[in-house]
Amino acid sequence: MKNTIKVERAKKNWTQADLAKHIGISRQGLNSIETGKFIPSTLLALRMAKVFNTTVEILFQLEETEQ
Amino acid sequence: MERSKKVQNQRCIIFALIYGATYLPATWVLKHRMVGQPFSIIIALVPIITFSIFIFSYIKTFLAMDEVKQRVQFEAVVIGFALTAMLLTLLFLLGLCDISNPTWFGYGQLVGFCWLFYLIGWLISKRKYGV
Repeated sequence: MKNTIKVERAKKNWTQADLAKHIGISRQGLNSIETGKFIPSTLLALRMAKVFNTTVEILFQLEETEQ
Repeated sequence: MERSKKVQNQRCIIFALIYGATYLPATWVLKHRMVGQPFSIIIALVPIITFSIFIFSYIKTFLAMDEVKQRVQFEAVVIGFALTAMLLTLLFLLGLCDISNPTWFGYGQLVGFCWLFYLIGWLISKRKYGV
């Protein structure tokens, strides 16, 4: 699964720590999600989409091999 | 919120240390038969009480963790449990063939191995998720 968290974060000029604080997780946890090592729950994905004012589908996409 | 999580984390570590601080002296006192049998039972129960408090605190801390940290703990416990169960099975089977060494693989040592396996699982999982 790939994600556009870094891009969305850059648009808002937020650091990982800023975003982590907004969605209520640790910075290390967010780094793990951003680098694709951990796939977040639906709740966290929705929370993330809400703070970026976007949709989960834009934030997270399946890789071609996963489709 | 972040501060209360930190406090909960510290409390869990303190309870773990209290458990260790009661387990080791209790083992020493019971091993050297320094007290009579009725009092021995009370001494044997003390680490169990501190362990129960520690586990209760650990569960509370686990519930307050974010989902990435929860996954790390979960995988650490699974790896720790699986390796301990594997060791117990092996020791049981070797015991059936009269090959056993209680000095290295007694009940007391198994507790240590259990914690060691949990630690191995924790390190593996931490490395896997990069936290």
